[in-house]
Amino acid sequence: MQEFQLGRRGVLGGIAATVAIAPLAACAGSSSGSKKSEGAKTEAKSDDNPFGLGKGTSVEAVIFSGGYKHDYVDFAAAEMKKKFSDVTVQVKPSTQISQELQPRFVKGNPPDLIDNSGANFIGFGSIVDQLEPLDDLLDAKNYEGTAIKDTLFAGVKDPGTYNDKFAVLNYVLSVFGMWYSASLFEANGWTPPKTYEEALKLGAEAKKKGKYLMLWGKEAATYYLTSTMISAIKEGGDEVRLSIENLQPDCWSQKAVQDVWKGLEAIIKAGYMKPGGNGTQFTAAQAQWSNGQEALIYPSGAWIENEMKSQTKDGFMMTGMPELVVSDAPKMPYETIRAEAGEGFIVPTKSKNPAGGKELLRAMLSKEAAANFAKTRLAPTIVKDTVPEDGFGSSALQSQNKMLKDADKNVFALRSNTYYGMNREQLVVWNEFLAGKSSVDELTKGMQKITDKAAKDPAVKRIEIK
Amino acid sequence: MTTLNPATPALDTAPPPPMRKRRRNLSFDRVSLFLVFLGLPLAIYGIFVVSPFVQAIGYSFTNWSGYSDAKDSVGLANYQRLMEDEIFRKALTNNILLAIVLPLAIVVLSLALATMITVAGRSVGETRGLRGAGFYRVISFFPYAIPAIVVGIMWGRIFDPSAGLVNGLLTKLGFSKFKDFPWLGEESTAMPITMFIICWGMIGFYMILFVAAIKGIPGEIYEAARLDGAGRLRTAWSITLPLIRENVQTAYIYLGIMAIDAYVYMQALNPFGGPNNSTLVMPQYLMTTAFEKSQFGLACAMGVVMGLVTAVFAAIVFTVNALTGGKDQVTMA
Repeated sequence: MQEFQLGRRGVLGGIAATVAIAPLAACAGSSSGSKKSEGAKTEAKSDDNPFGLGKGTSVEAVIFSGGYKHDYVDFAAAEMKKKFSDVTVQVKPSTQISQELQPRFVKGNPPDLIDNSGANFIGFGSIVDQLEPLDDLLDAKNYEGTAIKDTLFAGVKDPGTYNDKFAVLNYVLSVFGMWYSASLFEANGWTPPKTYEEALKLGAEAKKKGKYLMLWGKEAATYYLTSTMISAIKEGGDEVRLSIENLQPDCWSQKAVQDVWKGLEAIIKAGYMKPGGNGTQFTAAQAQWSNGQEALIYPSGAWIENEMKSQTKDGFMMTGMPELVVSDAPKMPYETIRAEAGEGFIVPTKSKNPAGGKELLRAMLSKEAAANFAKTRLAPTIVKDTVPEDGFGSSALQSQNKMLKDADKNVFALRSNTYYGMNREQLVVWNEFLAGKSSVDELTKGMQKITDKAAKDPAVKRIEIK
Repeated sequence: MTTLNPATPALDTAPPPPMRKRRRNLSFDRVSLFLVFLGLPLAIYGIFVVSPFVQAIGYSFTNWSGYSDAKDSVGLANYQRLMEDEIFRKALTNNILLAIVLPLAIVVLSLALATMITVAGRSVGETRGLRGAGFYRVISFFPYAIPAIVVGIMWGRIFDPSAGLVNGLLTKLGFSKFKDFPWLGEESTAMPITMFIICWGMIGFYMILFVAAIKGIPGEIYEAARLDGAGRLRTAWSITLPLIRENVQTAYIYLGIMAIDAYVYMQALNPFGGPNNSTLVMPQYLMTTAFEKSQFGLACAMGVVMGLVTAVFAAIVFTVNALTGGKDQVTMA
């Protein structure tokens, strides 16, 4: 049976090959495609139809369905139907944007509108050449007749601009900060800390009550990277941000960064960081904070309220505050925050009906649709004045409003981590550091190595972040 | 099971079968048989296995980003980058470690269980397994019925530092240093624990496989061995193992393929590669490279390396089996 064995070996090899290659093969698909698919017809452009959406055409939107679900786009589609009753709109949810749409990009028939988010989003750098510029969207009038650019929060354009092309409209506004239970603090007479020193003192207080100051989960260790980056930028000013964002050599050795990390290290060394986070699934860890109240403060984006909704203790009163600083006189005021829109919507040039994609975006930016989003998702969009003072009864939303107001113009965004896809590698060094197993020096070396690797990678398209 | 082995000299001495005149009769019967049983599988194999493999090899020599059809040939640059990439080397090492430990551990353990259930029972009367063998068989097979991703999530929770079953038990028993001990977050324990979990999930299936093979061995052989005074271990080593050698080899290779992949378990337990990348495996790194970094050319090169490693593993297993006398052994019907 020697020959048969050979045959089987071939089969086994084939199985191995399939195992190894299947995910790739699935996406390789046909490579025939750069042809533009046959476009839908268009009409003359006007104020009411700024992108020339054709009568009777159809629009296909693929929306990342994560924490915010996808039906808010259905709402916008209904708004759009009021104006364009003969246009059909299909809204399709997806949780694997990259895997699902990659073959369609290669084939040249991507959908008309994509919410490119979630853990499996497509790196914008690799598709920016295939996207429609969205400047005309900002110039267009919204459904209420005001120019859209006048209805949005400042700083929408920069984070969506790649190589001078504004191609990504980030829809949901996220405020980053430290989150705590206002009721717990009040009951114990604690004041929310503003500096790392105050935080260290609060840690001692917490210890007396058998609680920790902070905790983390293994997949979210880099929340502390984000948090300390924001602290360092506030401490050392805008040049710290530019240096880190543009992958400068030695950017992690800057004094402001080092001071902040030493502040965090003191907290870890004092035993105020709940141990075991490197083995805890991150939502389980977050529940230890929001439900078990085993730790006092947690760094995150404002989505945390929605994310932990079902696992938050009654009367928790989740409240956000700006990230900690080191000294009494940071270069940027303490109130400075990182506020950044997420859920990046894009309109591929090669889609059948790019005008339809833009029109649907315009509908989403209408007062009606944006207010619906804020109300049903308890998160603000980039459209101003859609959240009332009482934050629809949510303390987290109220505090977001307050943080935005206090910060005023002192708002910045961070882009390099997601753009260069460094998160996975950073998680490793951060889990070590938060577990108290590496020093600030080792953390600095590890971080610099990751940054240098991205900076030197010939396959990576560098962008200049301003 | 193989009954005849044309390569063995024993058969050459047998009288040749009378030559019959072959009729090349292309009846509908024959043609349809060929089409259905040869043509169809071959076509499917060619389209879904061979052609993507060839395509991926092609892509591995390019800098294809994955989202357009623009790509330039870069020769062997991707492979050079892989060899210089510390993290990829780490992932490769981890896969090789898995391929060394897992097949051995799982084959030994499941073979032991299979023996217990089939032939290690009372030493008088008919050859049979332990009392309650059927019950044990169901229990051991049970983990395999749970999807790997669920196994991963479940064990992840069992090993949770503060709310997990393991640390709860250990601290209750007075081992206070295990309070908040991150089994899957500690570099020294993450990989062994992960291996344990994979073993737990796989043993049942291979046990059933071996049970079926052992059942194919006539009971008389065991009785004869027993009469000659062979103990249970001796029987397992000298009777069972040689007679189910082919099955062990096949199981070994399947397990090797699984170990060089291991994606699902790793992704469920430590999605980003574990402490200091100690549980990172190649397919995880491949997925990151392709879908997060948009470097499909490089990712294809990783896939090719994975395929090669698997082929090398299979070759080693075949060679070892042949060298240890697998070729000229007796097999049972």
